[in-house]
Amino acid sequence: MNPVVEVSHLRKRFRLPLDKSTTLKYRATHWRSSSRYRDLIALRDISFEIPPGQFLGIAGPNGCGKSTLLKILCRIYQADSGFARVNGEFSAFLELGVGFNPELTARENIFLGGAVLGLTRAQLRSKVDEVFAFAELEDFADQKLKNFSSGMQVRLAFSVAILAQTDLLVMDEVLAVGDASFQEKCFDTFSRYKREGKTVVLVSHDLNALEEYCDRVLLINQGEIIADGPAADVTAAYHRMIADHARAAERDTPSTLSRGDPNEWGSRPIEFVSVSLLDGDGQSSRRFETGGPMTLDMQLLVHRDVGDFACGMAIRSADGVLLSGTNTFLDHVTLSSPSPGEMVSVRYTIDSLPLLAGGYIVQVSAHDLGGSEIYDYAAPAASFHIDNRGGHGGMLEMQGRWQVEQEQEQNGPTTVMRQTAG
Amino acid sequence: MTVAAHGSVAPEAIQRPKSNFQRDLNLVRELSITQFKLKYTGSALGYVWSLVKPLMLFGIMYLVFSLLLKAGTGSKDFPVQLLIAIVAWTFFTEATSTAMNAVAGNGALIRKAYFPRWILVVASTTSALLTFAINTVLVVVVTLALGHLDLTWRSLLAPLYYLELIVLVLGLSLLLSSLFVFFRDLGHIWEILSLVLFYGSGIVFPFALIQAKSPRLADLAGLNPVAQIITDLRYSLVDPSLQSMGAIIGSLVIIPILLSVAALVVGYLTFSRLTPKFAESL
Repeated sequence: MNPVVEVSHLRKRFRLPLDKSTTLKYRATHWRSSSRYRDLIALRDISFEIPPGQFLGIAGPNGCGKSTLLKILCRIYQADSGFARVNGEFSAFLELGVGFNPELTARENIFLGGAVLGLTRAQLRSKVDEVFAFAELEDFADQKLKNFSSGMQVRLAFSVAILAQTDLLVMDEVLAVGDASFQEKCFDTFSRYKREGKTVVLVSHDLNALEEYCDRVLLINQGEIIADGPAADVTAAYHRMIADHARAAERDTPSTLSRGDPNEWGSRPIEFVSVSLLDGDGQSSRRFETGGPMTLDMQLLVHRDVGDFACGMAIRSADGVLLSGTNTFLDHVTLSSPSPGEMVSVRYTIDSLPLLAGGYIVQVSAHDLGGSEIYDYAAPAASFHIDNRGGHGGMLEMQGRWQVEQEQEQNGPTTVMRQTAG
Repeated sequence: MTVAAHGSVAPEAIQRPKSNFQRDLNLVRELSITQFKLKYTGSALGYVWSLVKPLMLFGIMYLVFSLLLKAGTGSKDFPVQLLIAIVAWTFFTEATSTAMNAVAGNGALIRKAYFPRWILVVASTTSALLTFAINTVLVVVVTLALGHLDLTWRSLLAPLYYLELIVLVLGLSLLLSSLFVFFRDLGHIWEILSLVLFYGSGIVFPFALIQAKSPRLADLAGLNPVAQIITDLRYSLVDPSLQSMGAIIGSLVIIPILLSVAALVVGYLTFSRLTPKFAESL
């Protein structure tokens, strides 16, 4: 049987302009220097096929190129070379509720979202009641979408998205949104697709989900497929890859930024050879606990004498918000002029992690004391995850204390009840 | 947690229509109806605004040019000529300026879903066309009832001029919407160009006025499709004694007509050429 998806030697490069060149003024004043771009290679040479009925997972760290691959599959981006072919109809859930308009009612949005999927008004008309029933939104059919909670919007969007019959279903992280009961519905739907022998491509960070549903998983890193096989094997490889950042760093200098243009960061007089995160026992890990210890271990190789220098680190949330950053100079630690060939080991230990459940990214840099010259830079250099435990909301553990005083006037003398907790 | 029993059955999936054309047409319809609806919901007067705006413009232009400057005196029913021209002009300028943003303003959709991108531009034009059609019908019915239209065999050409206008608008919309993704200055440039076109096309005065002052300038200005369409609409609907653009600039009249078609061809080619870059640039 013909494969449902054929991908052959796919390459994709993004040209990121270094300056804002979309205005006429810029064009007029910089007409000679139209080549101020930084190349970012998203996909190097990707080839694979998906036979009918396969449930394929795609995993990889942020920025590895998996979303780009998905968008090329869905014909949103065009490849620079190679091809990606889908034989048959496909539905893409790159985001739920594509095409929805908040100013329209739920009912109107079914027709609009359905039209984006390729379904006609006449076809959708007979399905409206079923959609509302499945989304549990019967009482809100004629409410404007903007008045819906995000959970309701997601339910409606999912119920519309599964309406189109397809040979291939492409999904990007849809599991990440919605409440528990919605996720259950998603998983039910996946199970049904699996039973029905549908071909599915699922991109997810959730390794458990990948293991549970996928027959086969591709692991992508730096725009290349580095593992391809049964889900259990590949997720194990992924765990190893993340844990063993040192090796990854050695093979493939950890910086995504410096890759694009090696000259941009100079000739790298100092280089990060490995960056890893250690737990309380000194073991490399990527899962940590709120309030627990974490040590950032950095090994630097000195190529050229640059005198005294500083080493910095920063932690960002998964969506890129800078949470904290510091460097040795700010904290009055001196890295005094090492000689070429010397290895420098720098560790930054946090005794009690003030972070709550979520994914976090670590970036590191080596620079001169003033911070104006960067010797090496890696972002993300490592990533870690904190599991949900205590139920506190948000990203930061404030370590606050509650104090409550309640005066109770009863028949007798007034008693003051005190409670303290922290 | 409540898991309602009635909500557990997923709706049966539907087979999409086999023909891509049917899907595309359906999406054009849904998008243009949405745009049309959204434009008028939320405001107290709703659709009335799309009638008030050209009427206001008409009122001001009539006051300034017809009453004060005496433009069009001697021309039959000049106010009606002015009204028809202004309704057509309002379509031209609103459709092109809305279409400018049809691609750039739909980044989320373009980055997350695949469908032929021209649908966005056609939907935006269709939505403007809907307003234009309603307004034109209203104006024609009212002026006809009041006896200000002079319909003869030559009036049969009027639908063709309207068609030419639509072709021109669609072509420019394709061109502008795709270029605007990469050159944001285009918005301002187009505003200025529109102003030049407004006065250069003899909307607020008979085109013959330009010819009377300078035949060479008339030859030049007459090459622009807007001037030709407006002049010929007036000739075919209101005043047979007016000169059609063909009578004013002679056989050169083929040029504005060709330009309208060229706008569509160039617009389409430019749009298709730039389409693959939209998702990355937005």
